[in-house]
Amino acid sequence: MKGTQLGEFEELVLLIVGVLYPEAYGLNIRTEITSQTGRKAAIGAVHSALNRLESKGYLTSELAEATHARGGRRKRLFQITSTGKQALEKSREQRNSLWNQISDLAWKDLNYGPSF
Amino acid sequence: MDHHSNERMPPKLADQFLRWFCREELIEEVLGDLHEYFEYELQDEAAWKAKLLYWYHILQFLRPFAIKKRLQNTHFIMIYQNSFKFAWRNIIKHKGSSLMNILTLSLGIGSFIFIFIYLKGELSYDRHHDDVERIHRVVIDLVNDNGVRLPDATTPPALAPNLKKDFAEVEHAIRIFPGWGSKFLLGSSDDKKFYEEEVIRTDSNFFEVFSFPMIYGDPNTALNDRNSIVITKKTALKYFGKEDVVGENLILFGSSRNSNLRVTGVLEDIPANSHFKFDFLSRLNIPNLDQYWGWYNFYTYIKLLPNTTMASLEPKLQAFYESYQDDEEDNNIIYSQAITDIHLKSNLKWELETNGDINNVYILSVLAIFVLIISCLNYLNLSVAESLKRFKEVGVRKTLGANKHYLISQFLAETLVITLIALAIGTLFAEFSFKNLGDLLGRSVSIFEGSNISFYFGICIVTLIVGLLAGLYPAFHLSSFNPALAVKGLADSSGKSVLGLRRGLMIIQFSISAFMIFCTISVYHQLMHIKNTDKGFDAEQVLVVENLRSVQNQEALKAELLNIPGVSNAGLSDGVVGGQNWTFTFGYPEGVLVNYLAIDPEFIETMDFEFVKGRNFSRNRPIDTADYTIILNETGLKDLGLTLEDVGKSIPLDQNDDTGEIIRGMVIGVVKDFHFADFKRPIKPFCFFFGEAPFDFINLQVSAANLNQTIRSIEKTWASFANEAPLEYAFIDESFSELHEKETRLSKILLFLTSLALFIAFMGMLASARITIKSRKKEISIRKVLGASVSGVTYLITRNFLWLVLLANAIAVPISFFIMKKWLQGFAYHTSISYSIFLLTIFSTLLVAAITVGSQSFRAALSNPVKNLKQE
Repeated sequence: MKGTQLGEFEELVLLIVGVLYPEAYGLNIRTEITSQTGRKAAIGAVHSALNRLESKGYLTSELAEATHARGGRRKRLFQITSTGKQALEKSREQRNSLWNQISDLAWKDLNYGPSF
Repeated sequence: MDHHSNERMPPKLADQFLRWFCREELIEEVLGDLHEYFEYELQDEAAWKAKLLYWYHILQFLRPFAIKKRLQNTHFIMIYQNSFKFAWRNIIKHKGSSLMNILTLSLGIGSFIFIFIYLKGELSYDRHHDDVERIHRVVIDLVNDNGVRLPDATTPPALAPNLKKDFAEVEHAIRIFPGWGSKFLLGSSDDKKFYEEEVIRTDSNFFEVFSFPMIYGDPNTALNDRNSIVITKKTALKYFGKEDVVGENLILFGSSRNSNLRVTGVLEDIPANSHFKFDFLSRLNIPNLDQYWGWYNFYTYIKLLPNTTMASLEPKLQAFYESYQDDEEDNNIIYSQAITDIHLKSNLKWELETNGDINNVYILSVLAIFVLIISCLNYLNLSVAESLKRFKEVGVRKTLGANKHYLISQFLAETLVITLIALAIGTLFAEFSFKNLGDLLGRSVSIFEGSNISFYFGICIVTLIVGLLAGLYPAFHLSSFNPALAVKGLADSSGKSVLGLRRGLMIIQFSISAFMIFCTISVYHQLMHIKNTDKGFDAEQVLVVENLRSVQNQEALKAELLNIPGVSNAGLSDGVVGGQNWTFTFGYPEGVLVNYLAIDPEFIETMDFEFVKGRNFSRNRPIDTADYTIILNETGLKDLGLTLEDVGKSIPLDQNDDTGEIIRGMVIGVVKDFHFADFKRPIKPFCFFFGEAPFDFINLQVSAANLNQTIRSIEKTWASFANEAPLEYAFIDESFSELHEKETRLSKILLFLTSLALFIAFMGMLASARITIKSRKKEISIRKVLGASVSGVTYLITRNFLWLVLLANAIAVPISFFIMKKWLQGFAYHTSISYSIFLLTIFSTLLVAAITVGSQSFRAALSNPVKNLKQE
């Protein structure tokens, strides 16, 4: 998976899949995104991201047992793979490393309010 | 589930749609999610809203990952690629006929685009204002004592403020006071000054009614100050070299003193589709303006309150107006017009700008559709004719297993390619015409500006559909050939019906062409009639120089101009004959509305008016300068109830409105009636007064020889008298043409479209003749072998075509005669439709047919019969 970068939205979906484990599927991932971040995404957009993440190998999925809800249609439940976990960690490390490199001086000017 | 009504279920159609496009393996989980989501939304939202959201999410699945890969799994693309490849090969193979097809079709499409983009402009006038449906113009038609109604766009300045005061429905009422031809000398400094005409004076709430986008400045306050002035972007650049000039000063140079105006706003240049245009907008600065009810020099516009319409106000207008008139004899009629109707439907006297005409819009739309139809029929005709050549191709394809479906799509692909190419060429053709015919249209137009683009795409879709429809018949026709017969190259049994269809098409084409030729010649005849009619004076040799107010010593200028060899006479006046003239009412015992000019004694001689009785003004007779010493035209004399016996006698001529005192006066001369207005209305009364300097115009009788030299001399003389004012002049002839600008424009566009239609019909007939001859080659050869002469054979083939054209004329000529007769009735002075127009129409269509078919059949008749018979 050389050169495959996690997109911002993809990363969010991936993390939420982790949060919702073991019950992560399309619709509740979307609901969770909205409640955690206030962002509204189309169901199709979430499905599209899940599809992509799965083809990159960051997720696996299987169809759950049929229930009475949803007109008897099965859900597809998602789970993070080890590659997915590595990708998330790599992304976090990159971020932390960048944070650590910002010197305190960079924030200095922000402490003062607007001046005349 | 069972107690779930349909209302509470997700829309079925949406599910079907998803099933149609979505990949099989995804459907279950996706539909599951969506249905669960729908249930969830239903808890908080109304059913309709939930359904709407449901649709939204379904559409959001139109993403690459979810869409079936049908295109790659089937032969779909391959077949279509092939269709287009074959289409292209066929076009290349039949270069001649493809070229003809494309050329005629693109001309048709091009003129269709051209006309409709132009007409869209005509229909878009004044629609750029906010709340445009609430803006109306109020006008007053003048009615004289004889009950003759004179439509007039102008109104007195007291109207607007009183409308606002008396009617609660009126939110704003404003006046517009244009420059009426006067030239204002404006400058940003002493070295940078220009004479300007496009000046409008108005009320401070101008921008409450009209929306012209302001780039700099605040429209709400821009006209608050009496010395403020708002200018357009191009004017700002002209005077200051930059756009943001708010706060700069403009100097208005007066004859005695100058005044300073402060620029408070810069507007985008006034759009071409505004019924009035201006470069400067300043405040009305005339004291006691609100009291004048007799000064018809202003335009009144009102904006109604939201949710009110003119319907409630209109019936009250007349009573309102009359309540302000002291004169009981005042019969003037007041009414309103929607601002969007002004350009196409108003057409009153003293419009702010020459109007368009809704009838021309109708005429042109019909013609544009005609031309498109002609060119599509042509395409249809040519393709059907072409099909005879393609029996074998179809036969071979069918034998190799192509089904009817495939063949139809193949032929439609061909049509599509040709139509697309024609569309591209037609677009270029239309845009090119716009670039070169701006004068003809009266404004500059482009396909690629603003809202025209989306409209253009609309037109493209229409033409594509029409083009494909035209291709539909040949496609079905071709694909229905019996392969066994087709491979042998035998005409199928439907050959007869195809011939009938082609004849029908040709008759329609030539009917339309004949119709257009007839109309064009008639319009042209009428214009020539206007030009050639004796106007009652010498219109061709009188040069009118405007802007005379900028000359201090007008008599000296006149004397100097008379020294120029080419100038034989010079007369001063305060108006132009053939322009729009001022009017006033006088007469005893009954008043008559009379057009008038104040002139000096040399004016009559310069214009070459012919005296019926009496004499000209003279400087040596004191009586001539009195109030009511006048020269009338014949109509004026008659309408005032006078006879030639009264000329030269002191008679009662007018009555003072206030005191009732009878005013005596004298008609010293009567001139023969002359045309001073457009030919649509009968000649009206006209009256000349002895005027005093300063005048506004000097009329020069010039000789046609050495005209350029004469004009150069006039320019030189002018420059030495007129304090830097530019010399502006025109022949009276030209101002007459301007009175008939609309008709001139119509005739030019007609000529343009008619040539196109005739050309397309010509091409169609040429192709048709070639095909006919090809299929009759053997017949011709056998006839020749048996002893037929070349002329006999030529006649044999041409004859049929000429009958078609005659039949087309028989259909078209009566219809066009009827329509043009109606059109001519709109003119008070019109020519009759002479038999020569009939002959010309019939002759020209026959000639086109004879030349095309004749030349082809002549060639066929000359060819060697042995050669043709050897084949097979």
